[in-house]
Amino acid sequence: MSIWRLRRLSARGSIYLGAGLLVLQAAFPFFWMVSTSFKPPTEVFAQPPSFIPEDPTLDNFRRLFTATGFLTYFRNSLVVSGLAVLLTMAVSAAGAYSLTRYRYPGREKIAGLILCTYMFAPIMVVIPFFILVKKVGIENTHFALVLAFTSFCLPFTLWLMRAFFETIPIELEEAALVDGAGRVRAVVYVVLPLALPGIIATSIFTFILAWNDYIFTRILIASDELKTLPVGVQDLFHSALIDWGLIMAAGMMITIPALLFFVTVQRYLIRGWGAGAVKG
Amino acid sequence: MTQHPTRGQPWRQQLVGFLVVSPALVLILALTLYPVAYSIWLSLLEKHSFFPQERFIGLENYIYLWSDPEFWTSFWLGVVYSIWTIFFQVVLGVAAALILNETFVGRGLVRGIVLFPYMIPTIVAVILWKWLLNDTYGVVNYWLLALGIAHDPISWLGADHIMLSTIVMSIWQFFPFVLLSILARLQTIPEELYEAAKVDGASALRRFTHVTLPQIRGILFVVILLRSIWMFTKFDTVWLMGEGAGAGRFIRTLPVYAYMRTLTYYQAGLGAALAVIMFAILIVSTVVYFGLFREEADIG
Repeated sequence: MSIWRLRRLSARGSIYLGAGLLVLQAAFPFFWMVSTSFKPPTEVFAQPPSFIPEDPTLDNFRRLFTATGFLTYFRNSLVVSGLAVLLTMAVSAAGAYSLTRYRYPGREKIAGLILCTYMFAPIMVVIPFFILVKKVGIENTHFALVLAFTSFCLPFTLWLMRAFFETIPIELEEAALVDGAGRVRAVVYVVLPLALPGIIATSIFTFILAWNDYIFTRILIASDELKTLPVGVQDLFHSALIDWGLIMAAGMMITIPALLFFVTVQRYLIRGWGAGAVKG
Repeated sequence: MTQHPTRGQPWRQQLVGFLVVSPALVLILALTLYPVAYSIWLSLLEKHSFFPQERFIGLENYIYLWSDPEFWTSFWLGVVYSIWTIFFQVVLGVAAALILNETFVGRGLVRGIVLFPYMIPTIVAVILWKWLLNDTYGVVNYWLLALGIAHDPISWLGADHIMLSTIVMSIWQFFPFVLLSILARLQTIPEELYEAAKVDGASALRRFTHVTLPQIRGILFVVILLRSIWMFTKFDTVWLMGEGAGAGRFIRTLPVYAYMRTLTYYQAGLGAALAVIMFAILIVSTVVYFGLFREEADIG
């Protein structure tokens, strides 16, 4: 074997080693969560720990669904995130269309403003938001939460949709307009079908962003029956003895929807415009 | 109607365009910009977080914070937390992007797995790590003891180590963002540049510094800016790591301090003042950053 070949082999080897280490650090915490969630209480605290549950049980999940408010939190998370995504997508698809297809004074300023608010951190918005919500008298409602989610999703979504509409050639609409189609028909029959993948991908990114929120729900929601998942699960810690099996089961149930959505949009992530597709 | 959709639009067209963008504009103004502007006013008030009374006190909140040792401690804790997390996120993110940009079997799957920690809710990341690092039953301490690296269980979430644990956990959670951004850019670098460098006999290191680095400089500029803003204002990760551990005050960064002033001490005015101070620090740092790296800013 020549030196050159040996070198090539060792280069290949170090790439596989690097990739292996990357997978290990990312996956092990999740593996450990799944493993713990299937263990009975005695095995959770066993030393040395068993990697594969020796006596697997669904008891943690049964208790999660019957003894805690998990299902209520799950439904709240779905409803609030879903409504926030609908509202955000409707106004930002229209907004992005306008920003890429019409010319009017101040258009670039509006785009700059959106980019600027994209960088605002939740902690800077949530304190005044909380006081304002109390003044209006809608504290502790899902309505306030939908507005709050919209506030941090909208700049992100609009920015993403704008980048996406820029990739749709304007000539296609022009052709439709020249052929005598009205603006509305051109949008419905020419632009929307082309924009659909981007709209779906953006909706999912926005949904993940809303689904993951902790701080707005923590501050705006006081009643247990209105809490979303991240806050509800955090409150499982507030018992005398921390029930790790139960908490890991809850963690797994929140991760599964995130995983499903992630798998559907993963291919969009690594494309050119994907770099702008994440926040936080 | 046959004119060009974007050029030479009459005022009616312009009006339609403006009307179509206005719902988004109104929501951004009402839900983000107005609250942020209102927080400046709020920071001039003495106001209880739950009762309607409020009293104008001018700059007194800021004067109080200036001589408040807690404020300075949280400022420095925030700086320590941000600098370490940003540095390692960038180094690891770029290194991982270089690896995942190579061709190897199962690359798509590996990319997905490595990016995934970034997509989960922070609460999940925190419970995963609190369980791994649990002092009595955690698997990390088990290994350290079993391999003889440590002789007694290490209290990872105790006063001495909680900052380290939070930094490590944050790097784990957020370096995939850097990885993703750099990887997207790496894929657009033409292969010919590397071929030419190889023909010239450039080593792997020289290929990196002479071909790759100049190409990713622009995106690196943007990524470091965004990560700095988001790490300096990171609330949920830090707050949830500190909660219930008893050592929370050793990672009480500015965002956590602002939250506590508002919701533990009910001093909404002080909380708002802290938010405004963070905002001001970010604006000044961003301007300085753009000044320092003018060249990169142009590419980015």
